[in-house]
Amino acid sequence: MIGYGVRYGLLSTRRRRKALLLPGLTTATGAFLVVLVFSLAPAVRQQAAAFGHADQVFRATLLITILVLLTGVVEVAVCTTRAISQRTREIGVLTATGVARPSVAAALLIEPMAAAAAGAVAGSVLAVAAEVALAAAGSLSASPAPEATGLAVALAIGVSMVSAALASILPSWRAASRPPIHSLSHGG
Amino acid sequence: MTVAMNPGAGASAAAPEPEECVLRVTELWKLHQLGDEVVRALADASLAVTPGEFVCLMGPSGSGKSTLLNIIGGLDRPTKGTVIVDGTDTRSLTESQYAALRHDTIGFIFQSYNLIPFLSAVENVELPLIFEPFDRAALRQRALDLLEMVGLAHRAGHPPTKMSGGEQQRTAIARALIGDPRLILADEPTANLDQKTGATVVRLLRDLCSRLNVTVVAATHDPAVAQEASRVIRMEDGRIIGDPASHDATLEV
Repeated sequence: MIGYGVRYGLLSTRRRRKALLLPGLTTATGAFLVVLVFSLAPAVRQQAAAFGHADQVFRATLLITILVLLTGVVEVAVCTTRAISQRTREIGVLTATGVARPSVAAALLIEPMAAAAAGAVAGSVLAVAAEVALAAAGSLSASPAPEATGLAVALAIGVSMVSAALASILPSWRAASRPPIHSLSHGG
Repeated sequence: MTVAMNPGAGASAAAPEPEECVLRVTELWKLHQLGDEVVRALADASLAVTPGEFVCLMGPSGSGKSTLLNIIGGLDRPTKGTVIVDGTDTRSLTESQYAALRHDTIGFIFQSYNLIPFLSAVENVELPLIFEPFDRAALRQRALDLLEMVGLAHRAGHPPTKMSGGEQQRTAIARALIGDPRLILADEPTANLDQKTGATVVRLLRDLCSRLNVTVVAATHDPAVAQEASRVIRMEDGRIIGDPASHDATLEV
């Protein structure tokens, strides 16, 4: 049953592409910064060491990245809540016609997960491209190691997906559990 | 002039035997607490509906007809009373069990159609069954057949936003029939349509349900719907004040 919910979620995600824009963009920004900071960390540390503040500079950059990531998570949660609110009547129709709760919740989860995946991949690709451009322009004292970049990309995508899932599971389940009459009468 | 029925009429309201009924409602109450005030949405409503009937619940706004319909369909729960749908006493059903009953037995038609805007007409018709392990090609064919029955085969690929109100409601009728329901609950099915379109839609609903032997309970204040009904039940202030099948109710004279 959940498999069919996922299938419906993929269909609705394809048809509601515009709704992915904002959460995708936020996740892309977060992923971009994570990849840059983590893959360039050794180079940044090296350059900062020349001024004698390697640890402070690294900690400051790390803090900024974490803040960006947290903002991204909150934004994904807000986007999920907004999407669910837009889809209230649709949820009411699904539950009124007897579609099981787990299927509805699974269908609702696909959209934020897809936005997070697309945003994280796009942000990572842009970050790697930026690194290549910076290295080519001679702005980096040392080129980032491929292993460090790979790890940073994996971290950015992983954190984005897990954050999107954590931020969306509860609102999706709550929306699927709402009595149909409430969804039908309060839906826009 | 309408004369109120005997308040105790609920229990003995319907003539048919319980096993003959596709729907049996007994002494149903729905009370809402609004601050310090208790609002009575439904009071001691009883009715019995046999297979193939087209029953029309008529009454002014706030008379309780939509509340009754919502409780029958399990979209809302009663404060007190019994609803038996197709032999199932719904009092002890959990939300999931009621959802399964709705899925297998009941089709819904709403005032505002409630079609999904990003799905085509045929996908909207398929909607109640696309979460089930049905053969996709067979399901698509069944949906197309139903669209043909409601005269919309040529609109199968169109989204609801590109369809008129009448076409949307006909699509909603096809959607309500996709799961071979025993009972269709229609809440103000013509309220958003002009008179002529409303009359066409309700005639279509009656003919289709008669052909497919599906029972219909429709809430409305549109006389055109009542005209097509096999029985008209009148409601006022949450009470059933007139039911031709009831021995105790006094009909409008």
